[in-house]
Amino acid sequence: MNIVEFKDVSRVYRNGEHEQKALDHVNLQLEESKFIVILGPSGAGKSTLLNLLGGLDSPTGGTITVNGKDISTLTANELAAYRAATVGFVFQSYNLIPTLTVIENVALVKEIAPDPLSSHDMLAAVGLSDHIHQFPSELSGGEQQRVSIARALAKNPKILLCDEPTGALDSETGVMVLKLLLSMARDMGKTIIIVTHNQNIAKMADVVVRVKNGHIQACEEQQKPLSVEEVDW
Amino acid sequence: MLLKKTFRTLLRYKAQFFSMVIMIALGIGMFVGFNMEWYSLEKDTGYIFDRTKFADYRIVSENGFTAEDLQKILALDGVSAATRFLSVNTIVDGDTDVLALSINENMTVSSLYKVEGEDYDPESPDGFWLSDQYAAKNGVKVGDPLTVKYRGLIFSGTVRGLVKCGEYLICLPDETQLMPDFNSFGFAFISPAMLRSCVYQGVQDYSEQVDFLTRMGLSQVREDDLDFYFQINVISGLDKENFAAAAEHALSRTMLVLSREETASWSEAMGEVDEGKTMGSILPVLFLAIALLTMVSTMHRITASEKTQIGTLKALGFKDRRIIRHYACYALIISLIGTVLGLGLGWFVGWFIMNPGGAMGTYLDMPKWDLYVPPFCWAVLAGINLFTLLIGFLSVRQMLTGTAADALRPYTPKRMKHLRIEESRHFKALNFGTKWNLRDCLRHKSRTAMTLFGIIGCTILLVGGLGMRDTMDAFVNSFYEGAIHYRNRVNIGNGPEGNIIAEMVSSYLKGADSEAEEARKAAESRTAAEALADTLEGDWSGTLSVELGGGPISVEVYHVTRDKVRFLDDDMHFTTLGNEGVYICSRVAKENGLKTGDTLVLSPYGTDDHYEVKVAGELRTLGKSIVMTDAYADTVGIPYSISCIYTDREAAEIPADSRIASIQSKQAIIDSFDTFVELMDLMVILLVVAACLLGVVVLYNLGVMSYVERYREMATLKVVGFKDRKIGHLLISQNLWLTVLGVALGVPLGMLTLAYLIQALASEYEMKMVIGPLTYVTSIALTFGVSLVVGLMVARKNRRIDMVAALKTEE
Repeated sequence: MNIVEFKDVSRVYRNGEHEQKALDHVNLQLEESKFIVILGPSGAGKSTLLNLLGGLDSPTGGTITVNGKDISTLTANELAAYRAATVGFVFQSYNLIPTLTVIENVALVKEIAPDPLSSHDMLAAVGLSDHIHQFPSELSGGEQQRVSIARALAKNPKILLCDEPTGALDSETGVMVLKLLLSMARDMGKTIIIVTHNQNIAKMADVVVRVKNGHIQACEEQQKPLSVEEVDW
Repeated sequence: MLLKKTFRTLLRYKAQFFSMVIMIALGIGMFVGFNMEWYSLEKDTGYIFDRTKFADYRIVSENGFTAEDLQKILALDGVSAATRFLSVNTIVDGDTDVLALSINENMTVSSLYKVEGEDYDPESPDGFWLSDQYAAKNGVKVGDPLTVKYRGLIFSGTVRGLVKCGEYLICLPDETQLMPDFNSFGFAFISPAMLRSCVYQGVQDYSEQVDFLTRMGLSQVREDDLDFYFQINVISGLDKENFAAAAEHALSRTMLVLSREETASWSEAMGEVDEGKTMGSILPVLFLAIALLTMVSTMHRITASEKTQIGTLKALGFKDRRIIRHYACYALIISLIGTVLGLGLGWFVGWFIMNPGGAMGTYLDMPKWDLYVPPFCWAVLAGINLFTLLIGFLSVRQMLTGTAADALRPYTPKRMKHLRIEESRHFKALNFGTKWNLRDCLRHKSRTAMTLFGIIGCTILLVGGLGMRDTMDAFVNSFYEGAIHYRNRVNIGNGPEGNIIAEMVSSYLKGADSEAEEARKAAESRTAAEALADTLEGDWSGTLSVELGGGPISVEVYHVTRDKVRFLDDDMHFTTLGNEGVYICSRVAKENGLKTGDTLVLSPYGTDDHYEVKVAGELRTLGKSIVMTDAYADTVGIPYSISCIYTDREAAEIPADSRIASIQSKQAIIDSFDTFVELMDLMVILLVVAACLLGVVVLYNLGVMSYVERYREMATLKVVGFKDRKIGHLLISQNLWLTVLGVALGVPLGMLTLAYLIQALASEYEMKMVIGPLTYVTSIALTFGVSLVVGLMVARKNRRIDMVAALKTEE
């Protein structure tokens, strides 16, 4: 069953008379509970695709259906509700609130998510039970990203969107975070979409979407994705 | 190239730029404006005092002074000029207006400033030199005829010139009026020659009527014998004690000596100067402090957000000195623009308070209304600009510390630290928004402190300004609406200036009466005045001047049986006078260390008599005075004569009586106070406008800074799924908490400021601080209103947060 469907989606940025097509008539279907990697070089349009999917941005053309609902014409408030209920984000730069402790950063989703999970459970799952009262600035990069994952999953979203989640981490920590991300999302039956330019991560994916110059070059299903341990990092 | 960057930086941080410019302009404007007011007042009043040779001392004697007396005073060491002087309140013929008719024997002291018409002529037989303000209000022109009357004497002539005089800088008929009213009261000078001729004519006419001269055993009266001056005005460098002793020694009698500080014109004018100094030192300090602190805080934040650019310039090879100069110039440009605008605003504030067309123009009758900036203001302005330059320098230097690589790294805010309070159950129970805002305040302490400072300042100004209005209203209502419980005050002319012709002739030509004869006459006069009071169904009062604590104090003796006059106790409640002692006003109590139950000795001026009296209580009075009932005065034996009758009769119903010197309506007294209220209102308007401006500018500037600093956090919240409205609420709620705290601190501080302002600005009026519920409500509502409006303005911005761009940046 498709959880995501892009129909003829375009995103054009206008700067005066100059137009830049970040996405050009993109068509894409993604299945539920899969691990999907969107791969492409810098400027290919992969982050735009993720932003549109996450409700951070709206298309200039076409329709995007997520979980059976067209999100391309939603208002700002409706998009906020969509983000609160349907998608969770993990960013390269963690984007934690520096003035809230670890537990508070995770618990804040309770304010908006319709069906949130226990913050303590989530932090225990990412192995940070001992750090819950620390501020983000007191944690290492890997620990901060684990908080970010806990926060994203605490909303209990259908889809987890990750934009270069290991980009700011050293390879050892990156592998550890990736492993955690995959195991948790899979255990919880989430659809995971990772945007990256790292070919190795693509080897682990169920589906690899290759993006170039605003077009989908290929959408390949991998019959035998590798495990984290099997990938040569 | 860097200059271009400077202007683009100004444009980029335009909210901060305008806020800083406005704050500096406001601070400098208030500082310069209020200081210009008192300094210009000092210079301009100094000009008229100098030009009209304002007297240092006035020697007063109800027996008058002879030409020999004047010579004896002139012969004193340390006396450079002296003149005999006379001033009586006369009624304008065909009108109820009162003119203080003055005669100055030689014009070496207390002279005139001609505005229009002929120069003063000491030999003019019929010339009036009339107050130009009175002339303007009453449509009198040079060349118009004028007649004034004084208890049977008629002074008739032509207006030869329009003048001003330092002696009448504040032209008041008596101490119950706080503000001049040139519609009904003015002054005029005539020559000594005209005085003699008119008095001579009066004596002749009177003599014809009652054959006075024959009865007195006199064949004729010479004009030269009719000079009668109750006062000698003196210019002397001696201090009061030495001068009074020398004058009394020279004239061999005790007299009332009043220094310039004891005259209304001088003391009130200098009081205004002192009040201006107080105003110039409280408000501007508040404004300047907030302006400079805002500048410090804002400049630091601007350079922090420019850190990468600063690092880039350093990495490119720009020397630190040049980068510092670039950012210091940025601060200096703001400061210079603010200074220029502030000078303009200051001039406007100075002009607003002090212009001849405004309330001050009614208060002070001055020929010159030039505005001057005190020299020290220029030094302060230079200091402010140097200080802002220093702020720019220090802010950028902090960002340049270390290597080029260090400078290239984005500015990192302080790390969060745990607080003890976080361990408490209550803290843990707080919702996310509260914790977020609380920690944000603690993380950005200077920004929070500045916001709080701005809110406190705003509340202080509102409570102070509106409270001043309440206090004034209560003062007016108590003293004028409540204590004055009559329709008309009838002034009885038996003071030193009020001797009728017969008394003048008999006492002057035949020498002073015997004590017994004086006592008999006084008793007769009192009986007649009491009879008049009964006829008018009124109460009455008498006055005498006594010495207490080295200065003159007015003693008021009241006979109140018809409730026409009321008295206010220390708590501003109406009270009745008892017959067990005297009641002292708060100033007398304070200055002489007196309290209820004490005894004090009163010595009427011009006598060697002493009377011991007991203090029965304290009152709040308009003038500095001691009050007692006639019954107590009679018990003690203090001599006095009835000077006023208070009645509800209309002026037209009051029968003609030679004892009546003038009639003053309650309405006229209250009307004259309107100008005083108007003057206060100007201050209140300035304070309220300044408070709101201060609040808006400070809060908006800091709100924008807060928004910029939390931009990424808000973007994160938005990505997580928070709606714009909820994020807006978080922003506004922080502002509102700080407002609650600011108001909680600002209200008591505002009360303290008001108490100080009342003490400093209006101590002579014995006001009691009153702050009405509406003032609290208005002040709090306005502060919250300003905070909410600014909060909404800032919160609206979060709709434009670019989540994608914001989250790509590093913190």
